[in-house]
Amino acid sequence: MSLVNQIAAVTALNFKSMPQRTLGSLSTVVAVTLVVTVLLAFLAMGEGFQKTIRGSGAADVALFLRAGAQAEANSSVTRDQLRLIEEAPGIASDASGKPLVSGELYVVVDGIKKSSNTKANLPLRGISLKGTATRPGFRIVAGRMFAPGANEIVVGSAVLKEFNGMDVGSTVRFGTSTWTVVGVFDLGGSIFESELWADIDVVQNLFQRQNVFQLARVKLEDPSKLVALKAFSEGDPKLKLEVVSEADYYAKQARSMTGLIQKLGWPLAIAMALGALAGALNTMYNSVASRAHEIATLRCIGFGGLPAFVGTLLESLALAALGGLAGSLVTWLLFDGMTASTLGSNFTQVVFKFDLSPFLVLQGILIALVVGVVGGVFPAWQAARMPVLHAYNRS
Amino acid sequence: MNDFYLMRKNLSRKKLRAILMLVAIFIAFLIFGVLASFQHGFNAGTGLGGTDSRLITVSKINFTQSLPVAHIARIAGVDGVETVAMANWFGGYYQEPSNLLAMYAVDPEPYLKAYRDAYVIAPAERAAFLADRGSLLVPEGLANKYGWKVGDSLPLLSNIFSNKTTNSHRWDFTIAGIIHTAHPDDPQGAILFHHAYFDETVTFGRDKFNWAVERIAPGADGDRIAGAIDLLFANSPSETATQQEKAFNRAFLAQIGNIALIVTLVVSAAFCTILMIVGNTMIMAIRERTKEIAVLKTLGFSRGRILRLVLGEALLLALLGGVPGLLLAVVVDKVALAKLLPGSTMTWPISLTGIGFMLAFGLVTGLAPALNAMRINIAAGLARF
Repeated sequence: MSLVNQIAAVTALNFKSMPQRTLGSLSTVVAVTLVVTVLLAFLAMGEGFQKTIRGSGAADVALFLRAGAQAEANSSVTRDQLRLIEEAPGIASDASGKPLVSGELYVVVDGIKKSSNTKANLPLRGISLKGTATRPGFRIVAGRMFAPGANEIVVGSAVLKEFNGMDVGSTVRFGTSTWTVVGVFDLGGSIFESELWADIDVVQNLFQRQNVFQLARVKLEDPSKLVALKAFSEGDPKLKLEVVSEADYYAKQARSMTGLIQKLGWPLAIAMALGALAGALNTMYNSVASRAHEIATLRCIGFGGLPAFVGTLLESLALAALGGLAGSLVTWLLFDGMTASTLGSNFTQVVFKFDLSPFLVLQGILIALVVGVVGGVFPAWQAARMPVLHAYNRS
Repeated sequence: MNDFYLMRKNLSRKKLRAILMLVAIFIAFLIFGVLASFQHGFNAGTGLGGTDSRLITVSKINFTQSLPVAHIARIAGVDGVETVAMANWFGGYYQEPSNLLAMYAVDPEPYLKAYRDAYVIAPAERAAFLADRGSLLVPEGLANKYGWKVGDSLPLLSNIFSNKTTNSHRWDFTIAGIIHTAHPDDPQGAILFHHAYFDETVTFGRDKFNWAVERIAPGADGDRIAGAIDLLFANSPSETATQQEKAFNRAFLAQIGNIALIVTLVVSAAFCTILMIVGNTMIMAIRERTKEIAVLKTLGFSRGRILRLVLGEALLLALLGGVPGLLLAVVVDKVALAKLLPGSTMTWPISLTGIGFMLAFGLVTGLAPALNAMRINIAAGLARF
């Protein structure tokens, strides 16, 4: 009998005798399932948050922020500066030949969260029609766009889902001003869907911020024009603004969540994997012990130690892989697409969806297989080296 | 050969398995300890030091909107308001933008009066702070973290405001004193400096404040006073919303949102899972010893002694793994968590709950196999294998 045939025969024996050890096998599968579920839930949360924030930034859009501001909520740009920026080189033009420079005002207002019924910070962005032109993918999905000069707002689709009283036609009060919700917009699942948008002039007036913007958003002819724009801002003492690409700005903001995942998700999963390992080892030691007779008999009739080793290891790997798949499935059913919200770096709510990508599933299966290998290798070693006489003596 | 020796030997018969179980239990209780402390900090709503004797007034639109300084004098006139102080968020940081500081520009004397029972400041340092408008007070925790000492000059930067006098975002301060908390477990306050100094140096944002804190007379009705303050500014361009400090802090923390809830759920699930896995392993580990237990019985071990042996082994495992886990959680709280969320500490109730869980865990995992072991029929037990 060739070695390959021997291995196949012993592995088949291992798998066929599994029903005799249902409790142990099942406990290993369940343990690995839970480990993978917890890990993937965390990773899917991080992935979803990052996707929302990263997806908000384009490489061919530049932001002018006050130097050192870090976040747009802290920034300010005057109307005079905005005029100077319109003269800058490398800026794309709209159909009528005007430079695509959008001065935007970002104020924070209170909204009532559906989940907790408590007040939470919502960003109200004063924007002109140029602002929508710098954001490809902007689409009104219900109602209509706000009319310039009117107390009207359009709400991001995430705001509609997570906050009370944001349906089309309802009125909202911010301080003494009253606004009508006239539309709902989508913007490719980006952070802007967590915002309220209204006409810049109206927002400036009603919030007493005449002639002040938070930032200027500029559409570039192509991403390489950023360097020239930076030099332009540096060279003019009246500007001296920080120029960053929108993609970089949001990538930096996404990092905070990555930190949380790395500090919480992985250690937790590794800790739980150690627990699962204790269970897997136990199951496999029991498996070897219960088959001691069988293994010894095989050795007597000429089987080598390697088939016993491989058979045991494969049994362990199969159980772990099953757990890994089950864990991915559970995460997908329970968490994928779930909406959550938290405070972002502008001190306002960011709504995002859990996102279980294939790459994450791969990581989950990987940790399951590691548990399978480590949990199988020691018992398999024992099976391979079991002295024949000893095995018979034990009975 | 006493019972404890037997328990110990039984536990360590398969070293790798025993170590793995201990590590798993250790980690489960570490997770429990850290999470429970975090929740304590979160739920107590003491994030910024909450009490019913203080009210917080902010703009009705949102607390990030500023209010005119003229409001302060009118609030001071409300019946039952003992003292009122305004405060501005400064967006301060030390050297690097990532070293963000809780730092407020305040009316020094009324602010310290409003927080007189929360903060302890040496009288000489307090006097020095009040006398020098370019000075500031720093909380003990921050002073220790960065090695700041009284008398040091301290350049700090703002990510919001610009300084007219330095023509940059830098302000130069002198440390006048250290703020200690009245109780060691209380959350640390913020860096405090003079609002007047802020007002005369900023390039924009003068004559405004972000929030006001009111100390109300003992026994006064906070809700009535809050209503009276808000009524003063009703229908004005700068309407206010006044709340008890505790409620304000709780609402603030709630903004972190269901992420906290999700983390709690997932972490609790992890805790239960680890214990389930270890419990199951424990049950199987004892079941495989049926034959030995029959031998012990043959040797004359009583049923009660067998029960005690097996239960004791499970409890020993739970405590050996769990107690160090809780201890490490205390360290984690002190070193890392308290900075993230002030007020996260391992309280006695949390420690006792943890020990209770360990005992319950030991009993649950030990009881079924122990009862089985106790009931083992010698002949049947020896016949196994």
